[in-house]
Amino acid sequence: MSQQMDNSHRKFLQSMMTNGIVDEQRAAMLYQQCCDTYKTKCLPDKLNDFIDTINSKLQPLFMQIRKGWSEEDGQQHYALVNVAETDISRMSSDYADYELVLFRKTIELIVVSETGQASSTDILNSTDTMTTKKLKKSETEHLLNRLVRDKWLTEKRGEYSLSTRCVIEMEPYIRTMYQEQLKMCHICHNIAFQCQICENPTCCIKIHNPCVARYFKNKSEPRCPACDDFWPHEIPEIHQPLSQSK
Amino acid sequence: GKEKASQMLSDGTAFDHIVFAENLLSFMGLNRLEEGEEEQQNGGAVDGYLPQDAWQRVAQWSQCCFKTAPTFHYMMGSFHTEPPPPKQKVE
Amino acid sequence: TSQVLKGLENLTEEQVYQKTAEVLQYFLVRDQKKIPIRRADIMKHVVKDYRNIYPEIIKRTARTLDQVFGLKLVEIDTKNHTYILINKLEEPEGMTSSSGPANLKSGLLFVVLGLIFMKGGFVRENLIWNLLKKLHVDIGQKHNDFGDVKKLITEEFVRQRYLEYVKIPHTEPVEHEFCWGQRADVEVSKVKILELMAQLHKDRPESWSQQYKEAHSALSTSSQATSSSQR
Ligand SMILES: [Zn+2]
Ligand SMILES: [Zn+2]
Repeated sequence: MSQQMDNSHRKFLQSMMTNGIVDEQRAAMLYQQCCDTYKTKCLPDKLNDFIDTINSKLQPLFMQIRKGWSEEDGQQHYALVNVAETDISRMSSDYADYELVLFRKTIELIVVSETGQASSTDILNSTDTMTTKKLKKSETEHLLNRLVRDKWLTEKRGEYSLSTRCVIEMEPYIRTMYQEQLKMCHICHNIAFQCQICENPTCCIKIHNPCVARYFKNKSEPRCPACDDFWPHEIPEIHQPLSQSK
Repeated sequence: GKEKASQMLSDGTAFDHIVFAENLLSFMGLNRLEEGEEEQQNGGAVDGYLPQDAWQRVAQWSQCCFKTAPTFHYMMGSFHTEPPPPKQKVE
Repeated sequence: TSQVLKGLENLTEEQVYQKTAEVLQYFLVRDQKKIPIRRADIMKHVVKDYRNIYPEIIKRTARTLDQVFGLKLVEIDTKNHTYILINKLEEPEGMTSSSGPANLKSGLLFVVLGLIFMKGGFVRENLIWNLLKKLHVDIGQKHNDFGDVKKLITEEFVRQRYLEYVKIPHTEPVEHEFCWGQRADVEVSKVKILELMAQLHKDRPESWSQQYKEAHSALSTSSQATSSSQR
């Protein structure tokens, strides 16, 4: 028997609609603020129960607040996602059809790449094969900016990768479409887009950067957890969650 | 509506949009130019510089006037998922 | 309503529930652009064969929007049957930062709606362009935040029903004036606008006596309008 929703749940859900995705600290802060505002009990370790209550009401409506991890910093995030493809869900007006075609091409470029990234040049070139509408260079650039602003892609030095929001919401789609090409992280067993790869040609396991950081933290000499070869990559620092500014 | 407007004028409580603009510019953080510091552009339209976040300030401040419903945005389900290419292996 | 009851008899609870969920999803999807949603479109795209129980479906949809999302379904035009969603929950003081950056366009909307309200309900187009020019928003130029401002105000805000853009009769060349649209009437608080105007002018809301009266009388009529959907 799930709990009933009150205004603190509703306000939290509204914030999720506005933000799309929040990290763990932000979610905890929102939870606290929503409870304070509507004078309801806030138990810091009960965030997941609080979200479960919302999800029980969202489930029949094809929506969900879904938990996932960021490949970039290893932090837990919460995203509000749509879970069903229907005639109605396809009426979404945020992007035109030809823009969605380009977005899917971008996903494909990223998924099949070694690095989990696609350069703007690669994406621009892929527009040549589009049959729906020829996109000008400036239009493509404008669209990529919008996709970054709306938190579907991230961009670093002209290289685009899938955002945490995109991975969380689109994972079922990516699994259906690219089952064969997907890489899995040897440590956490989730899909890996951006990761380090063992250079032993008979091994080639993949590990997310944050998983690398955690796994090799106290090891004097980094060795592959599968083949025991020397791990030749730079070991990233463990990402410290930014202390809250207020 | 029209009668109301003229009524207000005679009421002595007319709203002066010039004063409104001046106060709003200050609120937006206008950097007023020192006299003679710069040539005025476009015949006096520019009397200083607004900071980048000028309109963000107005939007944030006036948010309490709006009972706007938040909107739901998503990517999954917004386009037709074509079935993946057929697999080679046969059961 | 007897027709509704008859219709319900032929359907399982599960079917009605499912249809309600679809209508709700339709509202959320169509609200992305903030253009009022027409009953005819709801019928055509979602309700379809269930049109005989439409009143029941819309009642349930409104209830779920309220209970799960804290949103209110309002029929803003009872003649053409168009709906909008508004927020029932206030933005708590100090929580604005956590709901993300405010929509920049609402700042512009505040200026335009505020001016119209303070000027008694109708404002000539030129007065708005002049005011905006003083605020460094030139309708002849592409604006950094708003792009094509004239298009935004005379088309997008009008389609969304924040504004009405009407020809002034007997003008040659034709002149236009603006007034509040049906969405603004239910979504925007005149009391709050007046408070902010007072704050901006370092004055009291009461010193604009006509506007004060209007704002506080509108408060009672708008709550009537939304609760009975009869205006
Ligand atoms: Zn991992
Ligand atoms: Zn290895």
